[in-house]
Amino acid sequence: MSFDVLFSQFMSGIARAALLFLVASGLSLTFGVLRVLNFAHGSLYMLGAFLSYSIWKFLLMPVLGFYLAAVIAALIMGGLGIIIEFILLRRLYSRGWPEQLLATYAIILIITDLVKWAWGGEFLSISRPKPFTGAVFLFGFPFPSYNFFVIGLGIALVIFLWWLVYRTRFGDIIRAAASDREMVSALGIPIPWLFTWIFVLGAFIAGLSGAVTAPFGSVALGMDMEIIIECFAVVVIGGMGSLPGTLLGSFIVGEVYAFGIMLKPELAIAFIFMVMAVVLIIRPWGIFGRPER
Amino acid sequence: MVINQTEQKESMVKKGWWLILLIIIFIFAPAFLSEFYLTVLCEALVMSLFALSFNLLFGYMGQLSFGQAAFYGLGGYTVAMLIMKAHFNFWLSIIAGVLVAGIIGLIVGFFCVRLRGIYFAVLTLAFGQLIFSVVFKWHNFTGGDDGIQGVFPPEFLKSPIAYYYFILIVFLLSAFVLWKIIHSPFGQTIISMRENSERTEFLGINIAKYQLITFVIAAAFAGLAGAIWVPFYRSVAPSYLTWIKSGEPVMAAILGGPSLFYGPVLGMFIMTFFHSWVLGFTIYWPVVMGALILVVIFFLPGGILGFIQEKVNQRRERLNQLVEK
Repeated sequence: MSFDVLFSQFMSGIARAALLFLVASGLSLTFGVLRVLNFAHGSLYMLGAFLSYSIWKFLLMPVLGFYLAAVIAALIMGGLGIIIEFILLRRLYSRGWPEQLLATYAIILIITDLVKWAWGGEFLSISRPKPFTGAVFLFGFPFPSYNFFVIGLGIALVIFLWWLVYRTRFGDIIRAAASDREMVSALGIPIPWLFTWIFVLGAFIAGLSGAVTAPFGSVALGMDMEIIIECFAVVVIGGMGSLPGTLLGSFIVGEVYAFGIMLKPELAIAFIFMVMAVVLIIRPWGIFGRPER
Repeated sequence: MVINQTEQKESMVKKGWWLILLIIIFIFAPAFLSEFYLTVLCEALVMSLFALSFNLLFGYMGQLSFGQAAFYGLGGYTVAMLIMKAHFNFWLSIIAGVLVAGIIGLIVGFFCVRLRGIYFAVLTLAFGQLIFSVVFKWHNFTGGDDGIQGVFPPEFLKSPIAYYYFILIVFLLSAFVLWKIIHSPFGQTIISMRENSERTEFLGINIAKYQLITFVIAAAFAGLAGAIWVPFYRSVAPSYLTWIKSGEPVMAAILGGPSLFYGPVLGMFIMTFFHSWVLGFTIYWPVVMGALILVVIFFLPGGILGFIQEKVNQRRERLNQLVEK
């Protein structure tokens, strides 16, 4: 196998890893602080993609349209996040996790039907925004330049989240709340308010990543399940609630998928699960995770 | 909760009467029901068996599986493929369906029982979706998204009424076996693992082994449910293995009450009949189910049977207080 084939596969794996990180980081962040696994995270991502499509069509702006639509869609998803956290999740923190999981499962059912009702079952897509329409040559090999936009966005999100969690006062509170919620609350920090903001941030990231996938030409029903299952693999491999773990998990899953597709397309997803199984045997709580209890 | 022996026996006798009455109603049900509602009743029974298998994990072992539909679908696919492609005997196909579900359950369970709580839920979900995507994408072998049509039971079971009795017998026998398992020393061990896994481990019990056995039993019964449903419905599709399907027994258990043996059955009956009624005027069933889940979570924690039991207990306590006075 020649170098350029492997290299091109590696690069497409990186692009996939960036996309996975975009989605999984929100999932992981929410779980790390709220200890609620948001099953509906993929649905927020899907709704974000559909919304950005409609906004993009409505705006009809050649250059800025896509970026504007993505930001507006993400903001709307953040707003929806406030509603979900405020009306549903807030009442369930004192209850067991099965109820919390089921509540987010109910949100999936509702959002899926909402999308089916509003947009129907067609495949929609947004044309690639300028200046990312062409190809970039690396070692004489062409790559869609849009992939580099997604990779860049992924890196930007890594840096932003790192800065937020490790370099700000808000981040100090986040980390403290993740390890001892009661103590933080006893120090006079309003935990419910913190939870709302974290959930909104997660929903915002989900909406943004959904909008960003639209130019890949895959805005359709079912995109939520497809991504969320891979995101579960990411967080299980990396360790739930850990940002470095999510980064490493995204990288592993993205690359395994890219090379798996080269070997046997139908089994690409199965390869991911094999890696996951190996990690689980060695470290059941993931590479960067901590054991429960 | 302390219940003395005589009281327990008394309530068992009472329960026994209810059961006999219910079974008699079920035996004579075809005489009163239209063919449409007989079909719905068949579905309710099959799905109840599916829900009972799920609740062995959820209600008794204390672990939430979000991939139980994979085993239901595997049972169904095994029967459909053996009958259609290998022209296998009907009864052997059903046994094979149970075996395939059990064997895959053994493999999946090997990984899943290492985890607890939310991690267990995610892993079962992931494996369930893996099995779904293999069935969905392996077009030459499984028919992909077309599924398999034209799966017929043997001649004497072709009429809906005959097949209804077949389903009823399988359901009653399975429910009896599951009830026996739960009330055996093995079942009590599972429950003690749920209550306090550390203490159970100190008693010298290998938790992973017990959980794996439970997982396989649950998978096999889910497979049985799928295996007997497909020849009745005459077809199987990949949607049988999705996590939407896996959510149905979860919902049924929460609705009926997971802490009681018949809770999931009650939940599944309500859901199935409600479903067939809702489909009469809208195709948006999932949104109705989503709303229903939220209503139950917020207003009926413990499920319907749990709610009734709580009220009964409260009344008994009040009576006891009156007697003491």
